[in-house]
Amino acid sequence: MSAKEYDVIIVGGGVTGAATVRDCALRGLSTLLIERGDICDGASGRNHGLLHSGARYAVTDREGAEECIRENRILRRIASNCVEQTEGLFISLPEDGLDYQANFIKKCREAGIDAEAIDPAEALRMEPAINPRIIGAVKVPDASVDPFRLVDAHILDAQRHGADILKFTAVTELVKEGDRVVGVKTSKGDVIRAREVVLAAGIWTAGLAQAAGVKIGMMPSKGALIIYGHRVANMVINRCRKPANADILVPGDVVSVLGTTSDKVPVETCDDMHATPEEVDLLMREGEQLVPSLAHTRIIRAYAGVRPLVVADPAGDGRNVSRGIVLLDHETRDGVPGLITITGGKLTTARLMAEMATDLICKKLGSSARCETAVRALPGSEGRKPRFKDPFNMRAAIGRHGTEVAQMDFEKGGEIICECESVTRAEIEYAVKQFGVRNISDLRRHTRIGMGTCQGSFCIRKVAAVLADILSVSAEELVREYMQERWKGMTPVLWGDTLREAEYMQKTNRDEI
Amino acid sequence: MRFDVIIIGGGWAGCTAAEPLVEAGKKVCIVSEGLSLSAVKYESPYARLATLQKQGAVVLRGDRAISGKIEDGKVVEIRTRNMDEPLVADEYVLATGKFFSRGLLSDKEHIWEPVFGADVVYDPDRTKWFDPDFEAPQPFMKFGVKTDAEGRVLVGGKAIVNLTAVGDICNE
Repeated sequence: MSAKEYDVIIVGGGVTGAATVRDCALRGLSTLLIERGDICDGASGRNHGLLHSGARYAVTDREGAEECIRENRILRRIASNCVEQTEGLFISLPEDGLDYQANFIKKCREAGIDAEAIDPAEALRMEPAINPRIIGAVKVPDASVDPFRLVDAHILDAQRHGADILKFTAVTELVKEGDRVVGVKTSKGDVIRAREVVLAAGIWTAGLAQAAGVKIGMMPSKGALIIYGHRVANMVINRCRKPANADILVPGDVVSVLGTTSDKVPVETCDDMHATPEEVDLLMREGEQLVPSLAHTRIIRAYAGVRPLVVADPAGDGRNVSRGIVLLDHETRDGVPGLITITGGKLTTARLMAEMATDLICKKLGSSARCETAVRALPGSEGRKPRFKDPFNMRAAIGRHGTEVAQMDFEKGGEIICECESVTRAEIEYAVKQFGVRNISDLRRHTRIGMGTCQGSFCIRKVAAVLADILSVSAEELVREYMQERWKGMTPVLWGDTLREAEYMQKTNRDEI
Repeated sequence: MRFDVIIIGGGWAGCTAAEPLVEAGKKVCIVSEGLSLSAVKYESPYARLATLQKQGAVVLRGDRAISGKIEDGKVVEIRTRNMDEPLVADEYVLATGKFFSRGLLSDKEHIWEPVFGADVVYDPDRTKWFDPDFEAPQPFMKFGVKTDAEGRVLVGGKAIVNLTAVGDICNE
C-alpha cells in the first residue's frame, strides 16, 4: 500500500481526465491521474479534431450550443497553440432546401453564435473545393483543434503544478471501506488511497463503477472517420441540415478529416475499434457531396472512436440518451461517498466538464479555491509562433509546441528524422522525457512523427533507430508495432494509391525488393 | 517505329527479359516509367538499362504505355504517353509489375490491367484483399494477370499469341 494519500485520483487520460487533473492541481489539490495506456488512447485520440462553435447543436440542443461557443472562445485564448482559427461553413445543397438554413441562423444567434449567411458565389470563392451546386452558405466560428497537443498541454500544466501522472497502468478495481470509495487498486498490484476518486474513463467508466456497485447506463456510440492526405479546404465544412452521417470535413495541419458515423455497438468491441469497409463506403458517398474532389483524393487511413453516451434512465430502453455533460455525485445518487463520475460531453467542452467536476470535488473536500482554467494559458500557448528567421529545423516544433521548444536541445539534436512533419531528434528526446513514450505509436501522438504524407513509409526505420537508441530497446520490435498499427488504419481503404503504398510497405518490410 | 520486341516495364523482370534478346541481336524497345521496386534486393535496374542501351536497345525513359491495340488475337501496336507515333513489334512483353508501378490499377471494386485490359485474377470482395495481420501473407500480393501454359496473356479468356507476361504482374 502506497503511504501517500492523495486528495484526488482521476481515472482516465483522455481530454476530460487531463482537464480535470489540471483544474485540481491549479486549485492546490494533491492529485494523481491514472491512465491504462498512453494519453488519448480512447475517444480523445479518435475524433475529428473539431472545435465546435456550437452551430451543429443550435437547432436541437440550445444548452449544448451555448456551452460550445463559450468554450470555443476560451480555448482560442488559453490553447492558442492547439487551435487553428479556420472558421466554418454550413453549406446547403438543392436537396437540403433553404428552410433549415433560416431556422439554423436564428437558433445560432439565440445561442450567441455569430452565424452569417453568405452568398453561394462568395462561399465558393472562399472555398473553391466545395460542391458547386450549393444554394446557400452560413459562416460560423468553428475551428480545428489538435486533441493530442491539447491533452499534452493540460498534462504538462498539471505536472508543473504538482500533480502526478501514472500512465500505462490500469485501475483494476475501486477500493472501498464500507460504502465509501477510498482509493484504487492498479494493474501493478498497488493500492493508492485518495479522498475522492473521479471516473473520467469515457466508455470504460461504466465497467469500473459497476465493480464498485454503482450502475451507470452507458451506450457506446461508434463514430468512423477517414483522413485524406490533403488539405482540400481551409475551413471546417458542414452540411446545413439535420445532423447526419459524414457531414463534417475538418482541416488539420496538412490533412482533412471526414466524419462521422453514429452506430450503437456492444461494449466488448470498444477496446478494438476500427472502421469497416461499409462505413468507409458510406463516409465517402456523403463526403463527396460536401467536396466532390474527395472522390479522387488519397486516403491516408480510416479509424473509429466511441462516444460515451449516458442513458439517463438505466432501466430504460436507451432512447433517453444524453449527449450533454454528465456529472454524477455517487454519494447522493447511490450512497457511495468518495466517488464522482464525469462523462458525456465533447472535446470542445472538456474544460467546462473539468470545472464542474472540480467544483464538486472542492465542495466535498471543503476547499474554496476558485477555478482559473478559463483564464490561464496552457503551456506552449503563451504566444510564441514560428517566425521566418527561426532556423528551419525548429519551425515545425515551434508550431507544435510553442514556448515548449525552450526544453529541446537543437544544438545536439537538430537533425530532421521525420521529413514530412520536420521532427528532429531533439523533439523526439523531449517527447520521451516529458511524456514517457514507449514506442512509435506513442511518439506519433506527442510529435506527429509518421503522421505526414509518407505515413512513416520512408522514415520509419530512421525513427526506430533513434528511438531504440534513446530507450535501449529493439528497433525491429518498434518497427513491427508501428507497421501493425498503420496496417489497421490502411486496410479499410486498401485500393488505389493506398494499395500501391501497401505493396511498397510489404516488400520493404520483407526485404523482398 | 518498328521493333522485333517491345518490353513494357524496365524493372528487374523487364531487364531480365531484354538481356538475352539484345545479346542475340534483336531490335528491342524498353518502355520504362521508372517506378521499379526492384532496386533494393537486386542491382539497380537503371544500370542494367544503361548497359542495354549501350548494346543497342531503345530505352524510352520516363515513358509509359497507355494502350495496346489487339486485332485477331494479336497485338498490332501500342501507344505511349510521350511518343506521337504508335510503336510496333512482332512480340510484346508485359513486365509492368503490380500496384506500386501501376502495372495493375484498382478502385474500391475492381482491379484491372490498364494497357491491354488483360484478364486479372482477384477476389471481387475487397475485404478479402488483405490479412489483418500485417506480417501474414497478403492475398493482394498474389493478384495478377492470367496467362496460359506458355506465359501468353489472356484477354477476354483468349491467349494473345504475341504477348507474354513476366515478373510480378503475373498471377501466382
